[in-house]
Parts: sequence; C-alpha cells; structure tokens
Amino acid sequence: MRKITALRAIVGIAAIALAASGCTADGPANSDTATIGASLPLTGEFSQGGLDTQRGYETWVEMTNEGGGLVGKPVKIIVKDDATTQDTAVSNYNNLIAKDKVDLLLGSQSSLLNIPASAVAEKNKMLFVCPSCASPDMFSRGFSYIFFSQQAVASDQAKVFAHWIANLPPDQRPKTAAYPALDDPFAGPAVDGAEKILSAAGIRTVYKDQYPTTTKNFDSVVNAMKDAGAEMVVQGAQFEDGVNMIRAMNRAGYKPSIVFQSSSPTYGQQYLDGVGAQNAEGVFSSASYSPIAKTADNAEFVKRYEQKYGTTPPEDAADGFAAAQVLAAAVNAVGSYDDQAKLADWLRANIVETVLGPLSWNADGSPKGEFLVGQWQGGVSQVVLPTDVATTDKILRWQGGVI
Amino acid sequence: MVSLVQTLILGLQVGALYALMASGLTLIFGVMRVINLAHGAFAILAAFLTFTLWRNLGMDPILSIPVVMAVMFAIGWLVYVLVIRHVRGAHVSMTVLATFGIALVLEGAMGFIWGNTSTAVRTSYTDASLSLGPLYVPQAMLITAAIAALVIGGLYLLLNYTWTGRAIRAASTNEGGALLVGVSVATVAALTFAIGVATLGAGGAMLSTIYPFLPGTHYQWIARLLAIVVLGGLGSLPGAILGALVIGVGEMAATNYLGAAWPVAVPFLVIIVVLITRPQGILGTRLREDAVA
Amino acid sequence: MTTISGASRLLDPRMQKLITRGLVLVAAVVIVLFPLSPSASAQNTVILALVLAIGASGLNIITGYTGYLSLSQGAFIGIGAYVGAILATRFPDVQPLLWAPIAGVVAALIAMLLGLVTYRSRGPAFVIITVAFLFLVQFVAIEWVPVTNGTAGLTLPLPDWPDPWGNWPFHLALVVLLALSLTMTWWIRRTKFGMGLIAIREDEGKAGTIGVNAPVYKLLAFGASALFVGMAGSVYGYYLSFVDPIGMFSIITSALIVLSVILGGRGTLFGPVLGAFIIQPVNNFANDTFGGGNARLVIFGGLLVLLVILLPKGILPTAAALLEKTRSKGTVGLSGARLNPLDRPLAPAEARPPAPTGRTLLEVRGLHKSFGGNHAVNDCSFTVPEGSITALIGPNGSGKTTVFNLISGTMTPDRGEILLNGERIERLSPWSRAHRGIGRTFQITRLFREMTVLENVVAPLRDFSVRQLGLGAVSGSEAARAEELLEFVGMSAYRDARAGALSYGQQKLVELAQVLMLDPKLILLDEPAGGINPTLIERMGDLIRALNAQGTTFLLVEHNMPFVVGLCDPIRVLARGAVIAQGSPEQIQKDPLVLDAYLGDDYLLEAPSRSVNIPVVERNPA
Repeated sequence: MRKITALRAIVGIAAIALAASGCTADGPANSDTATIGASLPLTGEFSQGGLDTQRGYETWVEMTNEGGGLVGKPVKIIVKDDATTQDTAVSNYNNLIAKDKVDLLLGSQSSLLNIPASAVAEKNKMLFVCPSCASPDMFSRGFSYIFFSQQAVASDQAKVFAHWIANLPPDQRPKTAAYPALDDPFAGPAVDGAEKILSAAGIRTVYKDQYPTTTKNFDSVVNAMKDAGAEMVVQGAQFEDGVNMIRAMNRAGYKPSIVFQSSSPTYGQQYLDGVGAQNAEGVFSSASYSPIAKTADNAEFVKRYEQKYGTTPPEDAADGFAAAQVLAAAVNAVGSYDDQAKLADWLRANIVETVLGPLSWNADGSPKGEFLVGQWQGGVSQVVLPTDVATTDKILRWQGGVI
Repeated sequence: MVSLVQTLILGLQVGALYALMASGLTLIFGVMRVINLAHGAFAILAAFLTFTLWRNLGMDPILSIPVVMAVMFAIGWLVYVLVIRHVRGAHVSMTVLATFGIALVLEGAMGFIWGNTSTAVRTSYTDASLSLGPLYVPQAMLITAAIAALVIGGLYLLLNYTWTGRAIRAASTNEGGALLVGVSVATVAALTFAIGVATLGAGGAMLSTIYPFLPGTHYQWIARLLAIVVLGGLGSLPGAILGALVIGVGEMAATNYLGAAWPVAVPFLVIIVVLITRPQGILGTRLREDAVA
Repeated sequence: MTTISGASRLLDPRMQKLITRGLVLVAAVVIVLFPLSPSASAQNTVILALVLAIGASGLNIITGYTGYLSLSQGAFIGIGAYVGAILATRFPDVQPLLWAPIAGVVAALIAMLLGLVTYRSRGPAFVIITVAFLFLVQFVAIEWVPVTNGTAGLTLPLPDWPDPWGNWPFHLALVVLLALSLTMTWWIRRTKFGMGLIAIREDEGKAGTIGVNAPVYKLLAFGASALFVGMAGSVYGYYLSFVDPIGMFSIITSALIVLSVILGGRGTLFGPVLGAFIIQPVNNFANDTFGGGNARLVIFGGLLVLLVILLPKGILPTAAALLEKTRSKGTVGLSGARLNPLDRPLAPAEARPPAPTGRTLLEVRGLHKSFGGNHAVNDCSFTVPEGSITALIGPNGSGKTTVFNLISGTMTPDRGEILLNGERIERLSPWSRAHRGIGRTFQITRLFREMTVLENVVAPLRDFSVRQLGLGAVSGSEAARAEELLEFVGMSAYRDARAGALSYGQQKLVELAQVLMLDPKLILLDEPAGGINPTLIERMGDLIRALNAQGTTFLLVEHNMPFVVGLCDPIRVLARGAVIAQGSPEQIQKDPLVLDAYLGDDYLLEAPSRSVNIPVVERNPA
C-alpha cells in the first residue's frame, strides 16, 4: 500500500511540471523577418536527398537576402531533422507552426514524409510548396494548399523517355525490357507509367518486380534479368538502390544497351562516385533539372552553389531552390503572406519561372508540365530530351556508343 | 540449371560473409547468454573504420583487416567493461535494452563522425567477377569467403586448442565450476565479448567492399544475424556457419523464385519457425534448464 | 519514545496517502484539461505521450506482471492504426474515431497469436521472436497491397469537426483509453488472475504445479495487453491522418515503450505512464534543441544504457524503496524473529492415522526418463496406497526428484504410465494434475519471492474457471481461506512479509500452505525435513500427521531416516532409477539390496518405528 502511495506522489509532481511547461504559450512572432520553416530527412535512409534539399534552400535564402529579401524583409529559414520518420516530420511541422511561429513553410524531401506533413499544413491553412511530392496519392485528398514544385507527378515522369524509345526505328528499339522498382510511392508509379507506354509499343516485359527499401544485394535481381534476356532496364530507384543495381550489373557482366533509372543519376557527384564514371556513362534518367539549362537564375544558382559547397548542384538541391522560388513568386506577387489562401489562388492562376523551367499547376496542386530526360555523358549530366530544351544532341547507349 | 547453380554460388558466398559476422554473435550468446543487439552496429562501425583507412591512408580493405580487428577488439573490451559487465546475468530485458542502447549510441556517433550519407569502398575487386563459363563469381565475395574461412578457422582453433579457448568454453557451460578451477570469469567474459566484436571487425571490413552502408543500416543486419544464430543454434559455431549458408542461399533463392520482396522476410520467418518447432536450432543442444514444461 | 516531528509526520502513512491522493488528482486534472493549453506544440507532445503511455501500460501486463519482454508492442499501435485507416477509407461517411473498438479487438486477437508462441519459447528466445514478429507484421503491411496500399500508405480525411474543437476529441479519446487501461491493470493486479501472472513471471514451472494454467493465463494477458493499445493506435492514425508501414512498425517505437515501462517501474500501476510522459518530451526536446536525428539517438541510447545500469528497477520502485528504508529505519524486520517452540499450532496430541482403505491412490508403472545419455529413471514402478504416508528413499542420483517431477508434471516420461485413482495422467499438464488433486513441494523452496506470503498462498488455482480468476486476491473468500491455512502452519504473523525475505524453514511452511490451498488428495513432499532445525522438523511431522488424519495421502522423499521411520509406512527404495525394495521400515532395513545400495552394511535403525516397537540403533546414516 505504502509503495503505491509513494508512487502516486511522484506522478503528481511530474504532472505539475508538465502543466507548467504547457502553460506558457509558444514564443512570440518576430514581424520584421520573414521566417520559413521546413523539416527534412537529414539523417536516416533518405538523408542524401534531405541534405541536398537543405543546401538548395539555404542557397536560395542567401541569394534572396542579398537581393533585398522577401517583400522587403530579410529571410530566415529554420530546418529541423525528421530522421526519415513521419511522426517526427509531423511533430516538426507542428512545432514550426506553433512554437517557432514561422510565417511560411517549405516541404520535406520524399513523398513518404510529405504526405503526412502536408496534412499538418492543410490543417493550419498554410501554403505548402513541396520540392518532392511526386506520388499521385498526394493530390487525391482534396487539399487546397499543396503545390508540387517540379514538372510532373511520378506516373508521368518517365513519359518523355518512354515515348522516345517507343518511337525509335525497329532495328534500334529494344525488344525486351525489365522493370525492377523500389517499393515506394514515387518509384513504383514512375516505372508503371513507362511500362504502359513501352509495352503498348510492342516491347515485351520479361521481368517486373518490386524490391523493398532495405534491399542491398541486387545480385539475384540482376541474375533474373540477365536470364530473362532483357535488352533494356527501366528501374524505379531512389539513390542507393540505383547505385547498387549498376554495380551488380557490372559484376554479373550484364550489359543491356539501354539503362534508365529514376532519381539516382540526378544525385550528381555522389552518383558518379558511387557507380564509377565509366558506368554512369549513358545512363538515362528522368530529370527535372540540368545545371547547364538556361532557366531562371540557374547560372547564378549554380555558381553560388559551387562556391558554397564545391560541387555542381544535384537535382534535389535544384528542386529545393525551385520550391523556394515558387513560394517567393507568390508572396511577392500578392504582397504579403498573411492570407495564405490568396497565395494558393495566385499559384493556381499563374506560371512561375524557376531553375527547372516554367512551372504551373492544376486545381489540385499537381503540376502541369513535362519532365526532362537526362543522361550522363563524359562526367556531365546533360539534358537530352525533349530536343527543344536539350543541352546536347548526342544520345548514348549505356557505357558509351551513340544510338 | 545455370540459374540454379548461379543462385547457389551467390548464396554460398554471401553466406560466407554472414557466417563471419554471425560467429561473434553466437560466441557472445553462448558464453554470456547476452543477446547482443548492437552486433549490427559494430559491423557498420568496422565498415566505417575500413572506409576511413582506405580514404585517408589508401589502405586496401584486405590489408586493413588486422588493424580493424585490433581496434574493434579494444572497442569491444571497452564496451564490455563499461556496460555489459553490469547486466550480465541480469534479467534478459536488461541485456536487451542495454545492447539496444549501445546500438543507438553507436548509430548516432557514427552519424556525427562520418555523416549519414551512403558510403562505400571501391577497389579493383569490388565490381569485378571471375567467369566460369556461363557462371560468374564476384571477386569481392570470393575474397570474403576466403577471409571468412581463415578467421572462423582461427576462432575454432582458439576455442578448442588453446587454454584461453578452454577457459571460455568452461565459463560458458558452468561459471561456478570455472571459477573454482581458477578461471577468472570476469576476464574471460570481457575477452569473449572482445573476440566476438573483433571477428565482426573482419566481417565489417569486407562488408564495406560489397554493400554500401550508412549508420542506419544496422537494423537490417541484426535481424539477419539473429536469424542465423537462431537457426544454427544459439552458442554453436558450426551452427552459425550452417545457418549463415542456409540463409544466404535462401535469400538468393527467394528473390529468384518468389520475387524481390521476399528475401526481407526470410530472416523473420526462419526465426519464428525455428523457435517454435525446434528452439535449439539445427546444431544446438537442449539443456535441462531449457526444458519447457 | 516517538516525537512527532515534521519529518515523521510526513512519513506517516495516512498523511502520505492524503498527499499523494491529492497529487494524483491534480495530475489527472492537468492531463485531462491539457488542450486548454495555449501551446499547440505542447498539446502535440501530450497526445503523443498519451499514446506512448497507453502502449506502455499495456506492455506492463505482459512484461511487468507476467515477465515476458516484448519488443513488438509498437506493432499493436500500428495494427490499430491500420485497422482504423482501412475502415475509414472503406466507409468514408463514418466518424473514424468510432472504429477504435474494432481496432482494439483485432489487435488483441493478433496479440493472442503472439501469446501462443510463448508456449514454446521463453526468455531470450521470446524476445527474439517478438522482434521477428514486428518485422513480419511490417512485411505483411507492405506486401498486402490491396488492403493496406503498401508503402504508399493510407491517408485519412482531415477531422471534420468544428475548428474551435481543435485537438479535444483526440485528446479526450486517448485520456479515456488510458483511464480504461489503467483501471484494467489495477483490477488485474487485485485478482487471482494477476497473482497467477506474477507467479508465472517469478517461476513459471512452479506456477504450473499450483494449478496455474499458464498457457491460458498468458493468452488472456497478451490479449489484455493489446486491447486498448490497438484502440489508441486507431486514434493516433487519425491524428496523423496518414498511416504507412515504415513509420507505424518502427522498432524505435517499441523501444520507447519498453523504455517507458522500465523507467517508470515495471509492475507498478502509474510507472509506465510516468515513464511515457518523461520519454516523449525528452524525445521532442532532443530533436529540437540539438537539431538532429543523431543527437536523439545518442541521447536515447545513452539514457537506455544508464537506466539499465543505474536504475534497473525504475523510478517509482526505487523511490518507494528509499521511502520505505527511511521509514523503517531502526525498526526490526518481521522475518528476523525466531520460530519459538511455543508458537506451535494446536495440533491434536495424538493424530490417529486413518484406517487403510486398501485402494491405490497413485500407481507408477515402468517409468523411463533420460537426459542425453543419462538414464535417470529406469523402469521405475511402485504404488502409493490411499491414506498412507509413503516414503521414497535412496542414494543421491537415484532419480527421486526426477520421479517427483514426472509425477507432478514438471517433466514428461519417455515411457511408462502414471495413474491417479486409476486415471492415466502422465501426459497431462502440471496444472491439470494439480486440479486433479496432486500438490508438491520442492527441495529448494520455490515461492514467488516478490509476492507477499498471503499472495503466495492465494495464487494457487483449485480448478479452472473464469470466475475463479476474477476473485479478489487480498480480500474475500480466497484470502480468508489462505489466512486459515497460514494459521494452520503457524505463519500467520508473516502474512504481509515479502516471501523472498523469509528464512528457508519459514518458506517451507508457506510452501506447504500454498499446496494445501489446492485441497489436494496427494501431496508430494521433497525433503520436508532437510535443512531445518529440529523444532521445525517436529512441527513438520505434526502437520503431516494432522493432515493425514484428515485423509490426505503423502509421498515423501527424505534422507533423514529417523524422521522417515517415525512417520512413514510403507517405504520404497529407489536406486539407479528403479525401485529395488519396498515394504515396512523393518523390512527395508533388513533387505540386503537396500543395505548394499543405500544404508550400508552396519546400519541399524534406532528410532521407534510406527507399527512395531523394535528398538534399533542408527550407526551410519546414509
């Protein structure tokens, strides 16, 4: 009996402490800076993308402040780490809104994290511009504050590539294809979209499978694809899995003439280091970005990024920068950020020029536009399609040789 | 047929790596009844150490194995003295929590020191393979298998032909008795833990050349390693080798014949099935204390 | 002698009760009314803490009470969240919060499945299985795409109640669930069911011999542990408005739950709640201030390690122990008092043995049992007549304790039969045999050390029925009967003492009382006179005689020959796993086989035997 009473005493004291913590309202807002809040996976499975996006955000902040700030106010950005965990992402956004009292939000990296994060923004009626929201599931919830700052959703990202392959002359077109994909709300739909187009064009699917995020050993997947005799590999990948697949293909001596990977090749130097320059040569990917494209502020962005971080900006960094550009465009156009519904309405009605090119949106926040197709050539990430914005006119096979 | 043989080759090779990594775990459990949930984290730590030696000193991973093993031995001893010593013999929940805590601390520390981005060591043999007709044998894995044989063989010799080894085996079967015959159980325990972590060091070093890794990778490894020692029989070194090979081949076969999603499930299914039908594993023995009435 | 100082007034139990009742009330009010707080982030923390607390409170039942550590408790939050989300997407017009009860039931059923696993695994093996189970559930959630939508996850609609309501519905739902969970935990602790669970934790083998049907108990415990957790999970999923396999089945959640239970104090009522409300804010704080997942990992890992080393019992029990120590400074512990010969209970001066009915109560036929190469019991056969006090003697290693284990059900024979009243029982579980009237004590006493003496005696289950489980343990008819039995063996003064604190002899008496609770027909006593002083040996003898007079049959294993001879007839002699001789004490001590194997050539009995007055001399007791 006494034990129980003692325990209750401590419980009571703890509760009072808890109450005390909750009695103070969250910190006061500072009205002469424009504060932006974002949560990113700086650690955990998606940390590579998270770090790149953070750099994109910070480069934008630096350049914007030099240019006079946002609606005349200096910009500050607060980035929290969600460790690739959604409830941490949710907590982070709740804290950013309520405790840090940020004025504006920017999205996290990966659909996985952004799906719940965007719900927080929606609940709080704040604009949510998202650099990495390609999953079609994001836009079927009837949200009105979410906007994806790339050119297309996942299911459309490989479209341009697929159409181009489908339209190759029969002697150059591969006859069989393999479709390994990461089990992920983004990678899966990307590959499915491509397969629809390619199989309709008569390219036979000899292998199709999804592997979990934790897969590190691709030897047997490669074995299976090799056995099936696939002449083309279209992989839905994030980053590590793409790298591992290439390495496994090398080990097995498997050399399909066409290799497409979503995402991974866009990781810039990391990808080159991961697979080796010779192996990166000729790998296609859906790209939202090229460092040598002549898009809005791109040259300055690349220069500043190289200054700050010593490397050409990878795609995630550019996506982050573009998201910030979109946000700024809306805020500058409307003149203030007090009524974020107005910002949302403006975005739906307008086109924004970004480092990715012009972006515009449907009513549900999904983008209207087409993805680019990139390819590594001689250690440089080029845009090869659509031909009107291409930065080069050669298109290669995997590991060299013009098609 | 070719596909089957190829699957077998790949499976056995990866099994060799697994065996190298699991040998320490089963040794630690056998002697101390401690389930070392930090085993995966130690492996990744060894991989990172190898990476640093390779990146900063240009040392080939194979050559750096003795160095890495020595460092891991010291780290293992330290961890034992600081933490494990206090929970040895306590309720199982305490050892589980303590080792899980160590795993988290290691993960965080590795993140601080090396960052959370994907890391890999690339040498001449990491992406090359030998071809035998229609079959191919990845070089890095072949080297790993050879090293695994060496290290595990050394471990076996140590356990069965040296006084230290006998002391370890005595302490594991009957601690009270071992004390009575002059075995310093405390030292033996620390030694065992350190040796277990050191063998893991060799495994981690080779791991760095085969798979990319980041601090958070240890979760996948611990599930797999637990399955291996459970299958082989907790505490049995030959069992660990057998279990590792079976699981290695099992994972490869699962990808081929069931689909790429299935290898993930292999460790868990193995654990559940084995612990329910034959808790002592393939080569473990049922002791009188383990009799479940 | 006692001066009423301020400090001692504070330690006065009644005052303490008042203070703590007040504090708990304040705590409850604060938590319930928390959404009034102007800080939305604190509200979020409290909601997450409530979920954690419910998870921890549930885990307390299987880890705190039953002693099975599970690293998969987080899975039930996830299962609850998924059930809620799946139903919400199928039936969009129904308020998602209403799905909580179904989510709870599903979680409870799946938890019972996990409980089934415990029939074959305990200790470390069980922990490993729970880890595998967690990942397996995650695997199912990922692959069963038509139902769970795989890695893409399920999105729930945003709450449709009016804005000013804010987080109140989530908060209140969780508070109600926590209250229910705590009430259930409190109720379990007070019943025979709870006693049985703790008995299982302390000594599962022993629990079986006192009629505790461990498998069923564990099944119920697992179900109870997940019921409210599943419900909380469905509320939590709705709160996040997104459910996916990676987040919902992370092992970190399970680790946080275990951490909460251990930190707060496992087996205590409020400990897990306290632990959860400490862990969750620390979790958030670590993430916010040190800005990084790495910092959080190091902090939690370090916390875990420090906790295990420095505070393994948890906050509340350690604090309670400290308080207890301060309070009882200078007082004499109850167990220190010696057993006084005058404390002898009023046993009848001359206990007349009952007239032999001629029936055999227990028959053992051709028993065999080997351990590896050691054939411990080798074709052993004997009978125990009804109403007798039979002795089983023999040299060490002859297999006596193994035979006992085979009879009581602690082990199963390789071959052979055991019949109780003509019914074959060798394949029955220990508790079934206990329910049929077999009770046994152990050579090294096996009481449940952390329970009080009274609780130990209340724990046995005479026969299995759900009603029995619900009976109160510390008050009511069961407790009254237990007190009677304690009175009988002379241990009623120790009613509230911790069983682990008693001396060996005192424990033996309590163990006897425990066995008597079963109303047994046959009592197996393993060395009842071993290791205790002569006064107590006499008391033992008197108790046995008194019980025998009321009709209980006894089978004893003993080395103390005078004790045996003065008490028992017939005697069976066991050597190398088989019975080599049987008969009355005189017959035995003249049998050359027995002398050769056990007593020695020059052995002569001195103590008067029961039936015939032959003076004998004991020279070389075995």
